[in-house]
Amino acid sequence: MRKKAAITSIMVGLLLFVVWKYSARRVSDLILPQPADVFTVLMEGFIDGYFYPHIMTTLTEIFIGLLIGTVLGIGAGIIIGESAFLRNVFSPYIVISQAIPKIALAPLFMLWFGYGMTSKVVITALVCFFPLLEATASAMRQVNNEQLALFKLMHASRLQTLWHLKIPGGLPSILQGLRVAVILALVGAIVGEFIGANQGLGALITASQSMMDTTLMFAVLIILALIGFLLYGLVNLLEWKLLHLKKGEEKH
Amino acid sequence: MVELELRNVSYQYEKDTFSVQELNWKLHRGEIHCWLGRSGSGKTTLLQLAAGLKQPTGGKVLHQDVPVEEPLSDIGFVFQDATLLQWKKVIDNILLPIQLKRKITEEDIAYAKALLEMLQIQHLFDRYPSTLSGGQKSRVAIARALVTRPTLLFCDEPFAALDLLTKEELQNELLYLNQSKNIAMLFVTHDVSEAAFLADQIGVMEKGAFIYRQQAPDWSNVNSHRRDTPLFRDYCMGIRQSLEETAHA
Repeated sequence: MRKKAAITSIMVGLLLFVVWKYSARRVSDLILPQPADVFTVLMEGFIDGYFYPHIMTTLTEIFIGLLIGTVLGIGAGIIIGESAFLRNVFSPYIVISQAIPKIALAPLFMLWFGYGMTSKVVITALVCFFPLLEATASAMRQVNNEQLALFKLMHASRLQTLWHLKIPGGLPSILQGLRVAVILALVGAIVGEFIGANQGLGALITASQSMMDTTLMFAVLIILALIGFLLYGLVNLLEWKLLHLKKGEEKH
Repeated sequence: MVELELRNVSYQYEKDTFSVQELNWKLHRGEIHCWLGRSGSGKTTLLQLAAGLKQPTGGKVLHQDVPVEEPLSDIGFVFQDATLLQWKKVIDNILLPIQLKRKITEEDIAYAKALLEMLQIQHLFDRYPSTLSGGQKSRVAIARALVTRPTLLFCDEPFAALDLLTKEELQNELLYLNQSKNIAMLFVTHDVSEAAFLADQIGVMEKGAFIYRQQAPDWSNVNSHRRDTPLFRDYCMGIRQSLEETAHA
């Protein structure tokens, strides 16, 4: 079944490629470049090292922003999930801040933190913060009542209950939040670079637009897709390491 | 010696008409008492009151003559769901009550392994709970409840989800543990034959009150195969009738 799905998936990919190739013949290179040309630009860019500083800049922004957003999001999620008082105090503000598109704050952060890496890291951290906050806060409240009673009977402290029960028990939900956050991190970093940057894949897309170099733009988009795929894969790997490997094989 | 006493214990749920009404019960060291009743009869609430997980709105619970004002420590509790932590191995699940109190010693590990052996699951000590069957999980939960060497064990329908054969095996093991370690047990169930097999005394509950109390017959002559005896069948029948009467109460 899985093999059949994989083969079908590859077939769909090939079909899209063929559609791209034949569509590109009918329109100008400025609108839709030939796949072969995009591939050539991609290869040349990697061989002569043109892409590397841009990739490194974007990846650095993503990882630092993701790290800060994850630590703060999980930390705040635990605090809000644990304290009904704080939850009631902060929930209206969380709802309001959710309603504001975080990306819309990017120009403001440029003013506050300048055009360097800091502003992109702040945007990335901010977009990662909320999905992790929500996922962690709800994970803290979804504990099995009998397990909670068991910890009460064992006279576990609040910290022990958190460490031995709530955090490991809530890990699947927290990882779901992380899955959303990694993709948003990529969006945050790129949009930040769109607004003002000299380096990074977002800056390269803006530059290719102003040079009317659609082929280069497509090459960068392919790199971004690969980075997104890689990040998603890393979360899957982390999930496997943390959940399935520890639980062992499920009994059938 | 009285291990646990309920003295005029009442409990009223907020915004709810259900209540436990002025109940009295005495459990002596080494005895097994079963509270039997339909769903919603109040038996689990009473067990939680007895264990200190809930505080009575009237009367008091005494453990070894000391009033219970917080969840009892140094007791074992087995829930309906085995409540094992999926991310910990069997041995770590069993040692959890000790791990939360102090550093685990070699002696603790040896005792946990002895319990596993007694429950015939010594080969599972380094497995994760998701790889175990329902009966194996229940055995691990019993071992965890006993690892602190309690004198009192609470069981809230621990075998309700198991098949008949596994259930009977576990009942035999529980009886053996009760006799070999002189542990008092309060056992909540809705299974008549389970209560009849395990209990020295049975209380049938309905609407938060005991409507029937029964002392077990003398099993000393038929102990090993008591389930197959006419005496056991008659005993079960008597309890069943009292339970059926609760439908008309």
